[in-house]
Amino acid sequence: MLSASQLTRRFGERVAVDDLTFELVPGEIFALLGPNGAGKTTTLRMLAGLIAPSSGSVGVGSEILTRDTAPRLRSRIGLLTEAPGLWERLTVRQNLLVYARLHGLPDPPRAVDEALEAFGLRDRGGDLAAELSKGLRQRAALARALLHRPDVVLLDEPTAGLDPASARDVRALVQQLRSERRTIVISSHNLDEVERMADRVAVMRARLVALDTPAALHARLFGARVRIAVRQPAAAFVEVLARAGFADVQVQDRTLSVAVDDEESATPVLVRRLVEAGADLLSVAREQARLEDVYLHLLDSEAAPDAARADRR
Amino acid sequence: MSRLLALVGKEMADLRRNPALVFPAILAGSLSMLLPFVVAVLVPSLAGERLSDSSDIAIALERYREHGALGGLDPEAAAQAWIFQQFLVLLVLTPVTGAMAIAAASIVGEKQARTLEPLLATPLSTFELLAGKVLGAFLPALALTAATYVVYLAGVAALAESGAFRALLLPASLAVTFLLGPLLSLAALQLAVCVSSRVNDARSAQQIGVLVVLPLTAAFVLQITGMLRLTVPLLGAAALVLVGVNAGLMLLGIRLFDRESILTRWK
Repeated sequence: MLSASQLTRRFGERVAVDDLTFELVPGEIFALLGPNGAGKTTTLRMLAGLIAPSSGSVGVGSEILTRDTAPRLRSRIGLLTEAPGLWERLTVRQNLLVYARLHGLPDPPRAVDEALEAFGLRDRGGDLAAELSKGLRQRAALARALLHRPDVVLLDEPTAGLDPASARDVRALVQQLRSERRTIVISSHNLDEVERMADRVAVMRARLVALDTPAALHARLFGARVRIAVRQPAAAFVEVLARAGFADVQVQDRTLSVAVDDEESATPVLVRRLVEAGADLLSVAREQARLEDVYLHLLDSEAAPDAARADRR
Repeated sequence: MSRLLALVGKEMADLRRNPALVFPAILAGSLSMLLPFVVAVLVPSLAGERLSDSSDIAIALERYREHGALGGLDPEAAAQAWIFQQFLVLLVLTPVTGAMAIAAASIVGEKQARTLEPLLATPLSTFELLAGKVLGAFLPALALTAATYVVYLAGVAALAESGAFRALLLPASLAVTFLLGPLLSLAALQLAVCVSSRVNDARSAQQIGVLVVLPLTAAFVLQITGMLRLTVPLLGAAALVLVGVNAGLMLLGIRLFDRESILTRWK
């Protein structure tokens, strides 16, 4: 549905985006992660047809975004910019009506009514945009970005600055978009949110540092670990596990974190040995590093030239 | 076309919510309108003298009458009519200066309010964007011009000598008000919108756009000193030139409008 092929953008001498390639399918949530200035917004702008790549291309469906096709293809793309960008002296309804007409929708008032209803803004349609809370503004901006029912939805920091309840609402809306088979690209600094929502994550610093599912990124970087909580002090069982061949065991109070090659075959062995050693097991679970750990590890590696080359391979 | 109308509709809605934008134009128009009444009616009345007794005005008036204008008016009415017609050129300027504030803020204002990027993400073309912005400033200017003319005409009919208002109904007067004035307004506003898409603040655009009023001011001075007479053929020729200038300015605006620079370099 949406693809980037060797996408590169230079501003003078500076390379903002370098050789980015990916392909997204309908119903996929794809997250762009990276520090400030990593090229996330530039990437979104190229995907939205707002700025042209210096080299490489963007494909929407079976068509390539060019200067000629951009105006038409923009009607298949919905962009939520970092700032809501509502006309503050106009009401929410007026804001949406202008966009419904700009997109050439057949019945703009009806499309606006439906959008207001869908985004829980029916009662606020007559309010000036300036009078809305930050959360409602973001919701109105999202309604505007999706008014024309685009196949591709690009969201730049969709929950930045929102209170937890508003952020949860936005996340629910994004999940709803996924269920409608829209292709969604999110640029975000909120790693917890990305971990919860994204099917795949691209970590970038101008160029692509890594691209995979959050779980696969973790497994690739840190290997698999099993976390076991016991009733007794956990240190007593380190020796038992070492004898069973589990050399990498970390202990924290009554919890053991054990590195395993294959989680499926190793977990029953671990449990058996611990029970035989008299441990009262409270819980056994796959240990999942937070995306934040993965992200920071990737960027730290990227910062060191040798590690960066290794990552590239 | 529907996208262009959508944008013009937005500009009008915005203006309705912020009528203060046109107050300077209304104020300037009102003051400009008072000036000829002071010159042609109030001062002679306070001084107890007749305009037609002035030798300077008599010379100008004689030249004026040679062209067949205002035949049948008594000398005082003709003198007043001549003055009221001269000031008409200045009067059509005021809506332009007022609308300039709207045009100057058009693109840079959207950028500063961070509303431009979502707008550019729609299928809106550069022509539609620029034309919408120009029309958004031009239509209020046109309405102000028409309103100013009607009030001026009514004021002259009520306060000046009988028949003096006929000067404002002459073809040349109508051409100045409804052809030359609007075309010059359009050029000025297009220039302001062009500049608005290249500068980082509205004031720069406004200052440069206002330069367009200079030709009208020059025309006013040349006309009142008798060095230029705005006849219908001359006004028609000027209008044709202005149509070309306006088309050229639109093409220039489209060429100058650089979406990428606006999005990526403006802060």
